[in-house]
Amino acid sequence: MLYIIGLGLGDERDITLRGLDVVRRCVKIYVEAYTSLLSFGLSSDGLSKMERLYGKTITIADREMVEEKADSILSEASESDIAFLVVGDPFGATTHSDLVVRARQLGLDVQVIHNASIMNAIGLCGLQLYRYGETVSIPFFTETWEPDSFYEKIKRNNQLGLHTLCLLDIRVKEPTMESLCSTFQSIAAYSGNSLCVGVARLGCEDQKIIAGSMEDLLEIDFGPPLHCLVIAGETHPVEEEMLNFYRIK
Amino acid sequence: MVKFTVEGLRRIMDSKHNIRNMSVIAHVDHGKSTLTDSLVAAAGIIAQEVAGDVRMTDTRQDEAERGITIKSTGISLYYEMQDEALKGYKGERSGNEYLINLIDSPGHVDFSSEVTAALRITDGALVVVDCVEGVCVQTETVLRQALGERIRPVLTVNKMDRCFLELQVEGEEAYQTFQRVIENANVIMATYEDPLLGDVQVYPEKGTVAFSAGLHGWAFTLTNFAKMYASKFGVDENKMMERLWGENFFDPATKKWTSKNSGSPTCKRGFVQFCYEPIKQIISTCMNDQKDKLWPMLQKLGVTMKAEEKELVGKTLMKRVMQNWLPASDALLEMMIFHLPSPSKAQKYRVENLYEGPLDDQYANAIRNCDPEGPLMLYVSKMIPASDKGRFFAFGRVFSGKVSTGLKVRIMGPNYVPGQKKDLYVKSVQRTVIWMGKKQESVEDVPCGNTVAMVGLDQFITKNATLTNEKEVDAHPIRAMKFSVSPVVRVAVSCKIASDLPKLVEGLKRLAKSDPMVVCTIEESGEHIVAGAGELHLEICLKDLQDDFMGGAEIVISDPVVSFRETVLEKSCRTVMSKSPNKHNRLYMEARPMEDGLAEAIDDGRIGPRDDPKVRSKILSEEFGWDKDLAKKIWCFGPETTGPNLVVDMCKGVQYLNEIKDSVVAGFQWASKEGALAEENMRGICFEVCDVILHADAIHRGGGQIIPTARRVIYAAQLTAKPRLLEPVYLVEIQAPEQALGGIYGVLNQKRGHVFEEVQRPGTPLYNIKAYLPVIESFGFSTALRAATSGQAFPQCVFDHWDMMSADPMELNSQAGQLIADIRKRKGLKEQMTPLSEFEDKL
Repeated sequence: MLYIIGLGLGDERDITLRGLDVVRRCVKIYVEAYTSLLSFGLSSDGLSKMERLYGKTITIADREMVEEKADSILSEASESDIAFLVVGDPFGATTHSDLVVRARQLGLDVQVIHNASIMNAIGLCGLQLYRYGETVSIPFFTETWEPDSFYEKIKRNNQLGLHTLCLLDIRVKEPTMESLCSTFQSIAAYSGNSLCVGVARLGCEDQKIIAGSMEDLLEIDFGPPLHCLVIAGETHPVEEEMLNFYRIK
Repeated sequence: MVKFTVEGLRRIMDSKHNIRNMSVIAHVDHGKSTLTDSLVAAAGIIAQEVAGDVRMTDTRQDEAERGITIKSTGISLYYEMQDEALKGYKGERSGNEYLINLIDSPGHVDFSSEVTAALRITDGALVVVDCVEGVCVQTETVLRQALGERIRPVLTVNKMDRCFLELQVEGEEAYQTFQRVIENANVIMATYEDPLLGDVQVYPEKGTVAFSAGLHGWAFTLTNFAKMYASKFGVDENKMMERLWGENFFDPATKKWTSKNSGSPTCKRGFVQFCYEPIKQIISTCMNDQKDKLWPMLQKLGVTMKAEEKELVGKTLMKRVMQNWLPASDALLEMMIFHLPSPSKAQKYRVENLYEGPLDDQYANAIRNCDPEGPLMLYVSKMIPASDKGRFFAFGRVFSGKVSTGLKVRIMGPNYVPGQKKDLYVKSVQRTVIWMGKKQESVEDVPCGNTVAMVGLDQFITKNATLTNEKEVDAHPIRAMKFSVSPVVRVAVSCKIASDLPKLVEGLKRLAKSDPMVVCTIEESGEHIVAGAGELHLEICLKDLQDDFMGGAEIVISDPVVSFRETVLEKSCRTVMSKSPNKHNRLYMEARPMEDGLAEAIDDGRIGPRDDPKVRSKILSEEFGWDKDLAKKIWCFGPETTGPNLVVDMCKGVQYLNEIKDSVVAGFQWASKEGALAEENMRGICFEVCDVILHADAIHRGGGQIIPTARRVIYAAQLTAKPRLLEPVYLVEIQAPEQALGGIYGVLNQKRGHVFEEVQRPGTPLYNIKAYLPVIESFGFSTALRAATSGQAFPQCVFDHWDMMSADPMELNSQAGQLIADIRKRKGLKEQMTPLSEFEDKL
């Protein structure tokens, strides 16, 4: 049996009780380490905290392992119970649906244990989840690769009056919140006054949520990753009231 | 006696109408370097007495030993012309002083790349042809190259002395031989119709053909003789010239010119009567030591001899008499000054060939006008090793502006793309130098229209580059040179003592710099590979490597190996698909062979990545039957972004396609460089992107996902399209007497060669054989041929084309399959080819 278990957003103790039971029962445990960062870091210490709590040794699975050597994980799962831990919710980062597909094709049983993801926890900022348009990730720009298809999507969301959740690449801090805001301003759809919410390390104890105009957000240091940015569409009065808690004074 | 000063030279460099940049080109052993000596002698750099023996431009010891030229060498020569001589010159000029920047280039086919480098920086070419051997394969190759670069040629029929001394042929027979040589050259030139360059054929009666004996230092054009006789006959010089060539006969008995031989025994062709026979007479008089007869004859001709010269006898006397009567330098120089273009004239039409940017920007205009006040545009065509081991001079031509000592220049390398930072440096020129064969002279600056060598840039230029002023950020580079030969012969080198490895690595870097053609690479197996155009080329490169660039450290050289190309025979039998590692992206492709001649057109640079898309689609649709719209959808060329393989976008309405284009291109560059069969370059394959399915979010379709997928799908497409190997094939030209033919055919058969032309050289017992010979069979070919013909046959091999091996490389036991196994083993790859199932994903 392959268990795919969400770890939630905060630290190792955000795992669900059911998830914890399963982990303790499994023969081997992998933790996926490339679609997100565990907010408590991936240092040996962080991992050992997890290992201490769960009472198991944990193998870190990097992208190559999940994408190209998935077969070995799956063959292990056909013989015994294997846990595959994913930060957030298992399907938050869409890539793992492939793992499920492949497991099913091999006739394996797959159980999924859900948890909070940025996709629902973002509701905290006050903007209603029902009013979001397409989510975009903004990849790390390299010298030769500067994809810009997300502009189009954000523009479309804006035209429909929807909010846009922008997930920033986990690699380093580039593009920084600052550089992004100024790029966005260059899109005709937005001006420096557009309302945005900057969110850092959502779900952690030191989370930071600040709402304000794009221009104002430029000034603020959000600290270490993970970061995301919500560009607000049309707002409901109740949304406004919630947002006011986070406004720059 | 030295007739020039550096100041004098530098002064004429400013008068752009009085400069001639020219290269001397010919088949091997037709006497280029020897003839060049006569010119150098006239400029006072070496003594007249030794002209013909010194080979001033063969600066290397091995060149002197082998008696062939290996590297092209520049030499700047100064001449002062007489008013009398310039009377008939109609073009622009300022004063009587002329500067000739001359480049002597090698004649052996293996060194053709040196010729290419020489041609780029010259405007005219002196084509030297042996009067007995005639136009040979290398004459043809270099002539075509010259015309392709819009270099105007003049011809000299050389080794005239052989006619008089060795063969002792009669006038009429000699005339027929010369006529044939000139005609053969003209046949080649006539195929180049270029409205800007005009008629490039050469005509003795127009003064564009000279007759020379380089070894003895004499030469003439019909102008010389016409001048002599014009007054005697009281006719116009030009009229006289026409009479001295072609169907014009003179009978001294009747003193009448006719256009047919009247049949009278005294009636002879003008050329024979007035040019050939007088020379013959003088020569035989000298050789027979009939001095009593000689002096009156010379007096009549107006030739004066010094007292000590009168003491000479036999050959030395003959040589001296001929040099005084018909000095080679006068005839050749006059021909070059009259008929070859000055830089200011040549750059008007050459700018189109040279400049890559828009032809109406300030840089194009500066080149067109040869403007010394314009922005600097300088092309470095080769690197010359300095006496200081490990350092190089950058040698090239200033097309506009001035380059001076201490100037900060922008160096645009061959991979520079305007607007980007890649392959771009800004550095100072430490010293500017004029090249004088064996010596160099420093000058303050060098203006446009001249050749120049620069010190201090060698760290930043690998083989060639375009230089401009530091601030000229909008300048486009000058077009890269296209070589007529490719580095198809390779060896692996290693050092005998392991601790010499750093020396080897450094040495290979220097070797790569010093030769325009040689390619040094490292295989996956860790082997260092040196690739050259032929056996001789490699031999010279390896000698340089060991002696000059590695300080004599011993190296071990493997048996030569040949590079192959991978291609396909048919269209892929199905559309193949590969998934990205995260399985969320799918690429669909097909491979098909390119249309006949398209790969060659890309090789020749007629079609390339930097063309105007409109022009390109016109050529593709008109010549190769492509759909016009499709021709606009070419994503890239490869390998190295310029190679003869293509990726074409055939998708319809796919979103975000542009976002993955760069990744697909990167995957294609990789795959086309290392094909699926044996990691050899691909050739002549067109990959069509049929469909693309992408993940909705950009972060899941980055380079990490798409590049390896593109490579896999390209391999799958190649393997489903009946992959084949291409092997390089030489064109071999062999000259031999009839009795040697049997032996030649025998050796050729044994080596998988086939003869496609066999002609007897008119008037000689020699046969000229042309055959195709696979390069892989060519090692030891010369030796085998010599053995089979008791040394009577001399082959010249030049790379001609890629030939498809009909055997299926997928079958292990076929010849191609065996070859692939060998290559894979050598490269340290898995001996088994990776199966298709590894590259193709099935739904």
